[in-house]
Amino acid sequence: MRSRISRHLRNVPGAPPAADRALDEGLTTAPGVGEPALPPPELNGRDYAIFLLRLAAEIEHGLMVQYLFTAYSLGGPTVPEGRQADVRAWQETILGIAKEEMAHFVTVENLLTALSGPLNFNREEFPHDTVLYPFGFKLQPASLGSLAAYICAESPAEWGVPEEQEIKERAEVGTGAPVNRVGNLYAELIRILRDPTLVPSSAFDAGSVAFQASWDEWGRGYREGARGREAMSSLPQLPAPELLIIEVGSRAAALDAIEQVGEQGEGLEPGTENESHFQRFLAIYRGMKELGDGTGVRPLATNPTTDLEGPDVGPAEDPNTTTPIVNEEANLWAHLFNVRYRKLLVNLSHAFELSDDPGDRAALGPRGTLIHRTFSEMYNLRAIAGQIVVLPIDGAQPDGPLAGPPFQIPHTLMLPPDESGRWRLHRDILDAADTMIDRLRSEGSAGGRDYLAALAQMDAIERDQLELLIAGSSRTPAGSGAPTP
Amino acid sequence: MIRELRILPPLAIARFGAAATPMDNYDAVVDPEQPLGYRALRPAETLVVDTDSGEITRTFVPGRLSFTEDGQVRPVAPFVEVWALTDAGQLEPLTTAMLEAEQATASDVRWQVQVANHKAARRTGDADDRIAADTREFADHARHALDGTCANFWPGKRIPFGHVQYIKPTAAHPEIRLRFTPGAGHVYGASRTRPAAGRPADPNLTDVVYDGRRGGWLGHVDGAGGPALTVPAGIYRGDVDGRSVGYLDDGCDGLVRVRLAIAGRVLSAYGRVGAGPPAYAPDALPIRSVADELEQALFGPTVQASEATLERVEEIVRRALESVRLMNTPAMNRVGDSMAGHDARRPRPGRRPEPIMAPSLVDDIALENLHQSLLAALRSDTAPWFGDVLRDPEEIGDLSDRGRRKMPAMMRGADGGHLTLTRRQIDLIRTLVRGPVFPEDDGAA
Repeated sequence: MRSRISRHLRNVPGAPPAADRALDEGLTTAPGVGEPALPPPELNGRDYAIFLLRLAAEIEHGLMVQYLFTAYSLGGPTVPEGRQADVRAWQETILGIAKEEMAHFVTVENLLTALSGPLNFNREEFPHDTVLYPFGFKLQPASLGSLAAYICAESPAEWGVPEEQEIKERAEVGTGAPVNRVGNLYAELIRILRDPTLVPSSAFDAGSVAFQASWDEWGRGYREGARGREAMSSLPQLPAPELLIIEVGSRAAALDAIEQVGEQGEGLEPGTENESHFQRFLAIYRGMKELGDGTGVRPLATNPTTDLEGPDVGPAEDPNTTTPIVNEEANLWAHLFNVRYRKLLVNLSHAFELSDDPGDRAALGPRGTLIHRTFSEMYNLRAIAGQIVVLPIDGAQPDGPLAGPPFQIPHTLMLPPDESGRWRLHRDILDAADTMIDRLRSEGSAGGRDYLAALAQMDAIERDQLELLIAGSSRTPAGSGAPTP
Repeated sequence: MIRELRILPPLAIARFGAAATPMDNYDAVVDPEQPLGYRALRPAETLVVDTDSGEITRTFVPGRLSFTEDGQVRPVAPFVEVWALTDAGQLEPLTTAMLEAEQATASDVRWQVQVANHKAARRTGDADDRIAADTREFADHARHALDGTCANFWPGKRIPFGHVQYIKPTAAHPEIRLRFTPGAGHVYGASRTRPAAGRPADPNLTDVVYDGRRGGWLGHVDGAGGPALTVPAGIYRGDVDGRSVGYLDDGCDGLVRVRLAIAGRVLSAYGRVGAGPPAYAPDALPIRSVADELEQALFGPTVQASEATLERVEEIVRRALESVRLMNTPAMNRVGDSMAGHDARRPRPGRRPEPIMAPSLVDDIALENLHQSLLAALRSDTAPWFGDVLRDPEEIGDLSDRGRRKMPAMMRGADGGHLTLTRRQIDLIRTLVRGPVFPEDDGAA
């Protein structure tokens, strides 16, 4: 556990000393109405809110990645005849939840921007830090155990469903500890942000909206904030994802954003069946229980990693260690996956550094390009994952576990302070990608060759554009840089 | 034995050009090493016709393609072929040998071509504004001019729609063909006084042909409402008050008929020809074309599962890329003479004048790159995922932000609403979206 984080959680008023229970139990014992809500020692109210929001960003990021991994594991040759549509629907449902988590992640960054706080695009990876997460970060295929953990993480305080005990027990077996509710963190945030003595109104920077992500730019045709039911056009039996990308310029907007995000996770209101993440995961859990645990799932290894000799490497059958991808071709694809994942995060964080100036809406800048490229990398991650999940993790064991997308966090996600440096970073990442693409084209099998040729051309086009941006940008921080704290 | 005749292709589209030599043949193909780039134009076998004899004198594959000759655009002059449905149920090219077997010769094949330009008549409602050409029946191999005449033209005036020529079969090329060479792509004018000899003063015009005293085309204004109006109306050259300046062009379309009398029977067939502007982006195809409409009309609005292939989806996305590559997206997103402006001007329901997309997103290069990345990802053989961003035909009037941002975006359909793909194209994409995400999923246990 990171002591720089945990010591503040330990000191939450009323929190028990056990660090790994602090988030769950400590935050739920918050002061009642009329009772002063004190931030932990060393922090004031605004700083504490920023602290919690940075945790929320990590959690949303982590959940999104884990859900994507689980979704990618669904399908394959073990799906029983006649049940393909069911399994495909589960997969699309989890992919939809992951998209909504992405929107939560972006909205939390908006909240940080509104409070003039440092943004956080990072997250923990294995080994995990249980106090910060609802459960230990683990990339694992779909199973009753992994679904149980997701249900618990997204659960409301009162479940009201008959399988509650069974699911909690199954989740604890899989994670090694009771699963914390994400909702607790948002409840604490609401408690802090609601109180003007802790966070004054002046802490909310209305002008920062120009730097924030908006549904107009990031919504991509998905539903905007209004809750309601709408079917997907392609899979009409499923509700379409609803992306909550909420701009925040005031206390009221901040509280509304947090309430909406929290409700989408755990929603138990009448009529929200199949709408909250809790309800949707529960439906899949019930479906898989009926079909048979692990049926219709590719046998992806748990916590696959490109690192063959890392400190956390353990036997493939141990779900609490990482599994090295020793198959050389799969390892190359996994490296390429990590590079594109980094590129996605750098595009996203860079977009937040550039404003959408409402006073000059006709001006075209690189912000829109970065947003498009963020989506382009989502497409690439999906494409590369498709190559990885068909390859055995160990070439010597063709019938053994399959590799999976590793989602390894880069060594840093901090951006250089000036635009020139930022564009150079983009170019560096392309260099790394090109190396992997070249090796796959020369050393790999036939799989994915058409894609690699297209990706190489795409990167060459982007490189030409980057050279122009590098040549045209100065080394001094850009005028449209980060919002003034 | 020949049972029936067909003309293939049943629809041939020529493209204007004033050069003497028609355009050489070529294919537009995707370069596997540059899959995101422009289609490569690959020269293909070209037939050379001797204009005097009407015979094909040689075939060749050009070393390089040139779209102009002596500064003039080379016309695209399609061939139409007569095919025979035989007693064996086979459809095969009609040849001189097949005619001989029926005790007939190439001279027994008789053609008639009728083309017209009804653009002015379509608006004025005056049948005397129709411009039409008719070759009458012929069986020789000379060029037959398609001279467009009109009751409201000045005496002796005409609009040349090009010409047709029955290709004389030879031993090397025994097939029965006709070639349609379109007009030059010129603009013709109207006047209320008898036009003087020589080149008209208006530099746009080749000749002044229309008598503005006899017909109403010169000065015509589309009336308000009515079923005859196009949406939007007024799509003709007008003066500052919207009155037609009387321009006409040599675009046309019509029928090619063939007739063959054998053994006491008369067999016949017809096909369609049309002429339009040159393809100034020959390495690009539109996102929705006449071919898509015909395919939907022939095969219906849904596809069979076996027809839903990634290659076909990739072709649609490639055409989307090729369309967006030709668009000035920042301008098209602004409220003006664009769909953004059109939405605001609609009488009902109308909406506040606003750009369609977030302005930060419509940089043309960035959008081109986004579509290229779509294309790249599809080449991984993973299923498409973008079924929900497609605009359904029922949504062309959805002027909400979300409705206006569906794909294809910022483009107008023939009915004045936002463009959609055909139902068949949409169904093709969504069929694959519903299927397995990753390629090896055969689904069966």
